[in-house]
Amino acid sequence: MSALERLLEKAGRAFEPGRPLARFHALFEATDTFIMTPPSVTRGASHVRDALDLKRMMTIVVIAMLPCIFMAMYNTGLQANLALDPAKAASLEGWRHDVMRLAGMGYSPGSVAACLFHGSLYFLPLYIVTLAAGGFWEVLFAVVRRHEVNEGFLVTSMIYPLILPATLPLWQAALGISFGVVVAKEVFGGTGMNFVNPALAARAFVFFAYPADISGDKVWTAIPPGAAVDGFSGATLLGEMRLLARPFGEQGYSWMNAFVGLEPGSLGETSALACLAGAAVLIATGIGSWRIMVGAVAGTAAMAIVFNAIGSQTNHWYAVPFWWHMVLGGWAFGVAFMATDPVTAPFTDKGRLIYGFLIGVLVVLIRVVNPAYPEAVMLAILFMNVMAPLIDFGFVKANINRRARRAGGHGQA
Amino acid sequence: MARLESPRYTFLFATAVCVVCALMVSVAAVSLQPRQKANARLYMEKNVLVAAGLVKPGQDVTIKEVEKYFEKDVSARLVDLASGELLPADKADARSYDQRGARSDPATSRVAPANTAGVGRLPRYGVAYFVMKGGQPEQVVIALEGLGMWGTVYGFMSLDRDGRTVRGLTYYDQKETPGLGGEIGNPAWQALWKGRRAYDDQGIPRLTVIKGQAGAPDKDPLRVDGMSGATITSNAITRLTQFWLSDDGYGKFLRRFREKGAG
Amino acid sequence: MSAFGKREREALLAPILANNPIGVQVLGICSALAITTRMDKAFVMTMGVLLVTMLANVAVSLVRNHTPGSIRIIVQLSIIASLVIVFDQILKATLYELSLELSVFVGLIITNCIVMGRAEGYAMQNPPLASALDGIGNGLGYGLVLMLTAFIRELLGAGKVFGFVVLPLAKDGGWYVPNGMMLIAPSGLFIIAGLIWLLKTLKPELQDKD
Repeated sequence: MSALERLLEKAGRAFEPGRPLARFHALFEATDTFIMTPPSVTRGASHVRDALDLKRMMTIVVIAMLPCIFMAMYNTGLQANLALDPAKAASLEGWRHDVMRLAGMGYSPGSVAACLFHGSLYFLPLYIVTLAAGGFWEVLFAVVRRHEVNEGFLVTSMIYPLILPATLPLWQAALGISFGVVVAKEVFGGTGMNFVNPALAARAFVFFAYPADISGDKVWTAIPPGAAVDGFSGATLLGEMRLLARPFGEQGYSWMNAFVGLEPGSLGETSALACLAGAAVLIATGIGSWRIMVGAVAGTAAMAIVFNAIGSQTNHWYAVPFWWHMVLGGWAFGVAFMATDPVTAPFTDKGRLIYGFLIGVLVVLIRVVNPAYPEAVMLAILFMNVMAPLIDFGFVKANINRRARRAGGHGQA
Repeated sequence: MARLESPRYTFLFATAVCVVCALMVSVAAVSLQPRQKANARLYMEKNVLVAAGLVKPGQDVTIKEVEKYFEKDVSARLVDLASGELLPADKADARSYDQRGARSDPATSRVAPANTAGVGRLPRYGVAYFVMKGGQPEQVVIALEGLGMWGTVYGFMSLDRDGRTVRGLTYYDQKETPGLGGEIGNPAWQALWKGRRAYDDQGIPRLTVIKGQAGAPDKDPLRVDGMSGATITSNAITRLTQFWLSDDGYGKFLRRFREKGAG
Repeated sequence: MSAFGKREREALLAPILANNPIGVQVLGICSALAITTRMDKAFVMTMGVLLVTMLANVAVSLVRNHTPGSIRIIVQLSIIASLVIVFDQILKATLYELSLELSVFVGLIITNCIVMGRAEGYAMQNPPLASALDGIGNGLGYGLVLMLTAFIRELLGAGKVFGFVVLPLAKDGGWYVPNGMMLIAPSGLFIIAGLIWLLKTLKPELQDKD
């Protein structure tokens, strides 16, 4: 027994029923199981349908996201350093740049360390604020309802900063995650009961509440416009390509660049490569449903091919091939990490295929036809989250009917 | 009660209810119609005065005050858009002219030439308002419309006596996203147009809503600040502004105005 | 029996809180989402529903003993529709700029479940005075939720209350960054759902029994 273990056990007694701190047992439990292997696996009605411990599952999801987290920090720093006019580096203000100067890292886009360090100064504050604000609500509800703090928030709090622009004001991030945790999850009974993905609901809140800070082209690169090199455009590839008046084939972007993801965009979403690595981990461990991912690929391809075939003189997005759709915006991240969220996806196998397929179809549909929301992945997944129970219901009902018919048929024979 | 359910009584009762209701509705509609029409006109003309800078945006204006402006300083006229000629003032009552209605009616409009502003039909006559000072026209206000992001936006633009310099702008009917494209309804953004040039030196309408910030009007006369996060609305405003300033819109009329004034 | 007895008091007061049409009966939500972005709009809409409900109740109550049962719904609908059209016409003649934004929703008062519900559910069984008070009460109950929702939405969405600046906006030199979601319909749902939840938590006897 280590000293830490002894300390935790001793402290734990004060939180047992009847003791003065019983009310705050949830807090202790969360700390205890975070450090130590929990004494028991999840019991009763959790959304996990086998013996796999919820906490281990969440840990694997976080591991699967590591490439994206790395890319989030590296690419954010890289984009900022690329955009920065070196002559103006000395005049940059704010605590981040004080830290940069203190660490003596410099702003060289060629140095991986400098980029990582610069990017982490944007990613980490967002992450910490998310943990603090979301954690506050988690603990509050756990204490009031006298149940344990759930590990689900570990994943939510990891996903959320990755789908935000680097420059989002921290207070907006905090408001967003508060909305996501309270309205999308706790009101419906906590982890496992939420009907939409809390991280996405949180992003949707920020998107609609403070659109100027999460859309447009000023927000994706962490450099004030005044300090940027001449001719710098901070638009995301998705936004930029949409507004070009030239036909798609003549725009001359490199697919490989978009795939690797060294371009402006939400922190962790730009690299389809990193998401692919994460998806591989999720599929190999059986935690992410391959059916949903395959469905989304098929849906995106099908809808894009339909639009390619229809064609349009005025809307060049009709011509965008499906392999481009999959590397633009949040497609890869959304399909790998959010569409596969087991709580909000259907439970039936066929249902998952359909669910993924429809997400793919909706993403392309919204991107191509809707004038307002170039980034459709968030809306498509949220919409299908709401539809998921209906899909399940349909398949379960069909199954019951089929078996009833079979049983009935046999009965008469 | 058997009496209540007889077909004859039911029929009579229904008729009575219909007559009473119809009477009520028609009395209200007929008696209030003059005031409604006056209100609709007041609303349009108030926005003309806003574009011309005679009335502040959001200021309450009574019918009497508007009438006073239109008696003294402002005169409404109809323009034959195809030729740019003014219709004689005694031939048409420009103040009760309904441009939106005229543009939808095949008898008074034609299919617009291909354009990117989302203008489907063009009315034969467009309305123009002259703002006079000492008997001479000082500004001219023209009507704008076109497809924004969510629907058609309507506005007025006022140009100086030189037919080139923007004096004022207002968008009074629009459904763009609040906080983003909806900023076209914000007087602070509209004020940025003041002093910009509608045409370049070759007389081509080039005034453009750009991404980001434009310079001061005297240094950067052909560009206006864009609204952040609203590229689509910004581009739509550029296109519709250039359309109405071109020869398909009020262009011919404005050239004539530069040369001959309001005569 | 005095003219203003227990029944009349009940009719007026009960719908304001205890039997609030939106909060408890969950009627008339649709219009409440659309027009609560500003308090002046919500106020005019409240007045519309209040007047129409009151007058429709009185009219339906007056003819309640002479209306053939087979066509009573049509009769109620004709009365309500006529009143709504008249109200819309008056609005266009007096508050023109507001009517431009409200017109569609004023027309929809006809289909507002509160008005039909009170005519069929109350005025058909009760005398004119009580029916009038019931109409006023329900209008006030509806208005209470509407005004509260509009207050929150206008304050957070535009920093204003009844058009007066309370929180100076950052873009006009103040400090408040408005919450754009408050200007679109979903926020209305969140707020009204929150109010319903609050009402039912404070008054547990209103909760649905399973």
